[in-house]
Amino acid sequence: MIIGIPQGLLYAKYHVFATTFMKEIGAKTVASPTTNKSILDEGVRYCVDEACLPMKVYHGHVAWLRGKCDAVLIPRFMSIRPKEHICPMFCGLIEMVSNHIPDLPLLIDTPVYSLNRDRMLIWAKYAARFLTKDQKTVDAAFDKAIMRQNDYKPGINDEGFPAKVALIGHVYNIYDSFINMNLVKKLNALGIGVLTGEYVPGDAIEDEVRQLYKKPFWSLAREYYGAAVYIRKTKMADGIIYLSSFSCGIDSIITELIKCENDEFPFMVLKLDEHTGEAGYDTRLDAFSDMLKRRKTKFARYVS
Amino acid sequence: MLVTFPNMGNVAFAARALCQGLKIPYVMPEKNNKDTLRRGSFYAPEEICLPFKVMLGNFLECIEKGADTILFVGSCGPCRFGEYCELHMKILRRLGYGNVNIVVADFSPEIGIDALRHRIAAISDKSPVGKLEKLKAVKNAMIIEALCDRLDRIAYEMAGYEVNRGTCKRLMYEYKAKILESKEPDETIAMLRGYLRKFGEVKTDLSLDPVKIAIIGEIYTVIDPFSNLYIEEKLMDLGASSSRMLTPTWWVKDLVMKPVKLNSPNINRAARKYMPFPVGGHGKECIGEAVLAAKKGMDGAIQILPLGCMPEVISKAILPSIRRDYSFPFMTLIVDEVTGEAGINTRLEAFLDMLGSIKKRGGSGRKHNLTKMEPAGSLLRRCANEADRKELFFE
Repeated sequence: MIIGIPQGLLYAKYHVFATTFMKEIGAKTVASPTTNKSILDEGVRYCVDEACLPMKVYHGHVAWLRGKCDAVLIPRFMSIRPKEHICPMFCGLIEMVSNHIPDLPLLIDTPVYSLNRDRMLIWAKYAARFLTKDQKTVDAAFDKAIMRQNDYKPGINDEGFPAKVALIGHVYNIYDSFINMNLVKKLNALGIGVLTGEYVPGDAIEDEVRQLYKKPFWSLAREYYGAAVYIRKTKMADGIIYLSSFSCGIDSIITELIKCENDEFPFMVLKLDEHTGEAGYDTRLDAFSDMLKRRKTKFARYVS
Repeated sequence: MLVTFPNMGNVAFAARALCQGLKIPYVMPEKNNKDTLRRGSFYAPEEICLPFKVMLGNFLECIEKGADTILFVGSCGPCRFGEYCELHMKILRRLGYGNVNIVVADFSPEIGIDALRHRIAAISDKSPVGKLEKLKAVKNAMIIEALCDRLDRIAYEMAGYEVNRGTCKRLMYEYKAKILESKEPDETIAMLRGYLRKFGEVKTDLSLDPVKIAIIGEIYTVIDPFSNLYIEEKLMDLGASSSRMLTPTWWVKDLVMKPVKLNSPNINRAARKYMPFPVGGHGKECIGEAVLAAKKGMDGAIQILPLGCMPEVISKAILPSIRRDYSFPFMTLIVDEVTGEAGINTRLEAFLDMLGSIKKRGGSGRKHNLTKMEPAGSLLRRCANEADRKELFFE
C-alpha cells in the first residue's frame, strides 16, 4: 500500500514521525513535492476562497497526490497539548478537502488530540488499521518513529552576519520557501542572519505567557507570543519579522498582542497571500534591513 | 461604579433589566450605528472580525459617558472570540483607559469556578438588594431575553403572511423603543407580554405562500441587525418569511447543556454526516441548521459571516455538498466594516427572485422525503395562547 503524505501545514514539523511510522508498518510513502506554482494553482482552484494561503497550498498538495497513492495521510489535529487548541481550520481540514477535491483516494484522518505518548499510541493504532492490526508491529514502529522525531530538531540560527532578526510565524510559512519567496535566503543576502522561535527555551515562553490576563488557548499562538516577547526582552536578535498569511485568525490576535507589548524594538509583519508581488516584498525587506543597520550605527555613535 | 455592556441585538435589553433589578447604575450602549463601527475599527487590529470592532466601538462610547466597568463574556473555544477580552484590555489601556475594569464571565474549567465566582461577586457585591432579589433579577432578565427573542421570531416569520405589509415591522420597532422607556423589569415583562398578544391580533392570510428563508451563520452577525445590514428587516420588506435558530436564549441554553452533551441534539444529529468533529464557534450549528432547514422544506438559506471567521469558512466549504444532496439553495453574505449596502440589496432581491421562481416551478425537484412540515402559520396560532404562559425560558 502506498501512503501519500502532503507536504503542507505541519509537515515541516512532524514529517519525520509520519514517514518513519508509515515505513515501519510496511507501507511505501510518497510525499508531494515542495510547493510550486502548479500546486498553488491547483490549491487555489479547489479551496474555498476565504481560507488562508497555507490551506490553499495544502489542497494543492492533496490534489497532486491523487492517482499516485492508495491512501492520503491527513491527520486531523484537534490539539497538540491538553486543554489547548490549534486553529479551527485544522479541525475541519478533512471536510474541506473531501468536499472540494474530487476522485480522492482513501483518507487516513484519525484525529490527534494530544501529543503525549498514550494518546499518540491510540492514534497510531487507528491510523495503522488499514495496513496492520498487529499491536507489536505498531508499537515497535511507533517507538522508532518517536525516536527519530525527537532527534529531528528544525530551526534556523545563523551566525556570522552583521545583523540578526528573529523570524516568528507558522512553521508552514517559514519553511515553505516557495510561498515565502525565499525569505531566509533574501535576508541572508542582505546581510541579516535568521533566528527562529525554536531556539527560545520552553520555560521562558511559559514565563512570558503567564504575564497575560488570559492564557492563549492556541498552542501555536502561545509559542509565538512567548518567543517574540522573550526575544525582545533579552535582545537575542536585533528585530522581529512576523511572517503571517492573510486572513489568518490567530495571527491577527498575536501580532496585535506583540505590538501592544512592544516599545521601540523593530517589528515588521509580512503578509503572504497568493497574489503577493515579489517587488513590493523585496522593497520592504530592503527598507527593514537598512533600518536595522542604521539603528546599529546610531546606537554605536551614542556609545562611543 | 458605572456598569456597561456590549450591544448585541436584544442582549443589551436583558443586561439592562439585570442592572435595573440589581439596582446597579449602568450606561445603556447606544444602538449600534456607523459611528460605533467607525470608531471601533479605527482602533481595532485590521484583520480582526467585525464583532470585535463593533464591541470596541460600544465600549469607547460608553466609557466617554462615564462607565468604568464592562460586563463581558468569554470562551475557551478555538474561535477568536475567547481572546477578545485580552485584546480589548490592551487596547483600552493603550488609549489611556487603564482604570476601566473588564469583568469577564468565562465559562471554562480553565479558570476554575472560584475565579468565576470571584469575578461575578465583584459586580453583585455592589448591589444593595438582598439575595432573593438578585435571583429574581437574573430570572427577570432571562424572561425578558426569551420574550424579545420570541417576539422577533414571530415578527420575522409572520411578515410573509401579514395582510397589511409593514404591520409586523412597526410592532417590532414599537416594542424595542418602549423597552428603553420602562424603569422596572416587571413593567417591561408586562409590556412585552402585551405585545405578544398584539402580534396574535395582526391580520394574516395563511393562504399566502411566501418564500421561507433560514438565516444561518456566525452568531453575533446573525443576531445583531446592524452587523448584517438589517437583512432580516429587508426580508420583511420584501414579503419573505425568515427564521433563525441562533438566539441569545439558545446560546444560554446551549452553554448550560454543553457539559452534559445535551445541547441542541437535533442540530448535532443533522450536522454529524457533514461535520463529525466540532470546529469551534458555531460552525457545526451552521451546518446542522442548514440541513434541518432543507429537511423542513424551507426555500433557501442565507449564511452570514464576518470576514475571516474561521469556523464559518469551514462551514462555507461544506455548504455546496448540502446544496448538492438536498438541492437547497444558499447565499453567503460576508460582512465587514466596508460592506456596501446597495450591492447587498441587489443580491438579496436576486436571490429572492430566484427562490420565487423555483417555487412557482414546483420546487427544486428534491428527491428525499421531507420530514413532517409544520403547517403554515401554526406558530401564529400558537403565539396568542402563549402570551399568558409563564415559563418562556426555553422553547
